[in-house]
Amino acid sequence: MTTINIMVGQAQGNVPVTILRVEGDIDAATHKALQDKASEVIESGSTHILLDLGGVEYMGSAGFRAIHAISNMLRDDDSTGLAKSPHLKLLNPTEAVGRVIKTLGFDVYLDIFQDRDEAVSSF
Amino acid sequence: METPLTSTENKIKTLRKCLFLKGLEDAVLKELAAKAEMLRVTEDETIVIQGETGSKMYFIISGSARVHHGDVTLANIGAGDVFGEMAVLDSEKRSASVTTESAALLLSIERDVFYEALSSDPNAFKAVIHAVLEREREIIQDVKTRSTKLMAYEKEMEIGRRIQAGFLPKSVPAMENWELASCFEAAREVAGDFYDVFRLNTLPHVAIVIGDVCDKGVGAALFMTLFRSLIRASSLYGNMGSALVDEGSDNVSLTATEVLMNSVLTTNRYIATTHGGSSMFASVFFGLLDTGSGELLYVNAGHESPIIFRKNGETELLDITGGVIGLFPAARYAVETVTLSEGDLFFTYTDGINEAKNIQGEQFTEQRILEAAAPEGNSTDTFLRIMLDAVKAFRGEADQSDDITMLALKFQSPGAVE
Repeated sequence: MTTINIMVGQAQGNVPVTILRVEGDIDAATHKALQDKASEVIESGSTHILLDLGGVEYMGSAGFRAIHAISNMLRDDDSTGLAKSPHLKLLNPTEAVGRVIKTLGFDVYLDIFQDRDEAVSSF
Repeated sequence: METPLTSTENKIKTLRKCLFLKGLEDAVLKELAAKAEMLRVTEDETIVIQGETGSKMYFIISGSARVHHGDVTLANIGAGDVFGEMAVLDSEKRSASVTTESAALLLSIERDVFYEALSSDPNAFKAVIHAVLEREREIIQDVKTRSTKLMAYEKEMEIGRRIQAGFLPKSVPAMENWELASCFEAAREVAGDFYDVFRLNTLPHVAIVIGDVCDKGVGAALFMTLFRSLIRASSLYGNMGSALVDEGSDNVSLTATEVLMNSVLTTNRYIATTHGGSSMFASVFFGLLDTGSGELLYVNAGHESPIIFRKNGETELLDITGGVIGLFPAARYAVETVTLSEGDLFFTYTDGINEAKNIQGEQFTEQRILEAAAPEGNSTDTFLRIMLDAVKAFRGEADQSDDITMLALKFQSPGAVE
């Protein structure tokens, strides 16, 4: 059975940022764990999440659906949805995952950073 | 002093509830009860582990437990139930794990003790065999019921598949000087590929659509019908105001670019707002071909880049002009233009091609598509067949895990005979 590890960290940008560092493949078997963890940190007050994909070698469509679901959970009621999400950003995707992000055009919807500090201070 | 639960009488009562033991004489049961061990366990204790060999069977006097394969619970059991008896009868490995869900009181009997008690009564073995056969008959009946249900379910799936297939075009419009071929090979598991080719009502354009709904299964199939229908309806009847005012004047005031943009934005917004909670999306390439001039207007919404094989041997990729459709209501798309000239071949496909895997798990990739392609002098039919053969040869013994959809389009010079 495939499993993923999700580590939760905190950083301070202009607002407090919760960093979710994922290790393992995000696929049909594991995407729920990611969604549940995000839901858990959001319920305990996180409003801004940086999803660190540095440890993810494969992300299937289930992973992208999970990312969308997380972005939905974080959306402010007054959000117009016109710009990229100010609440969810991606950090350091591996080459393979980066390629799929680009093919599906997820970089149109979400900011992607290579540098952690830069990502945190962008919130 | 014995508590009622642990009394010999109660032990016998518990043993008698076991199907295997119900035909045994009192004397045999009494012997078993006397030799059975009483076991107090706490909550969440795994008593039997799947795959291990064991020599004990257990009877639950009080408390509850679950029978499971890893995280999957197969059954919940409680007072009066027996577990681990299979391994005692046949010495094979445990077929499932059993973990307590509350503190529990158990009786356990060793295999040797069991057979020894049985040997004291000539009828005992007969009784146990009888009980085992009875259980086997129940299992056979259960399998029969399940297989009838499964057949009914498969029939439903087959009907669903046929309905889904009805959402693919039965024929494509004939286009003077153009040759168009399509290929659709469904994976065994229902998936969400689709394509469509249709004429617009008031413009000299032919719509060419290929899409892939995320994930697999019934959900993907249902959303496939939704995406396909929304794209077609919004292209044909997108300007509903005028359609209502004057039937037959659909989209009359829209340019091709506007029809394209309107259709993509409408489909995206509808699904993202109405079905946003399901996070279902599709990658879509949508082109409008002016069959007279060869001009192709297109939106590539997160789809694999179609490839143009130019007559002079050069190739061109039509990269994305926006993200996948169906997630973000305010998503924006750009319309790009490319012109197909005489002898050029346009090829678009879904990830059943580039992500086809061989037995080693390697993917076919865009690179191999470019290497396998033989556009020169071949009809679009032949081109697709060569491509499909190349993918199948690469895949070898491995399963087709995803739908395969391909479209090829070629501009023939007027009067050219293939």
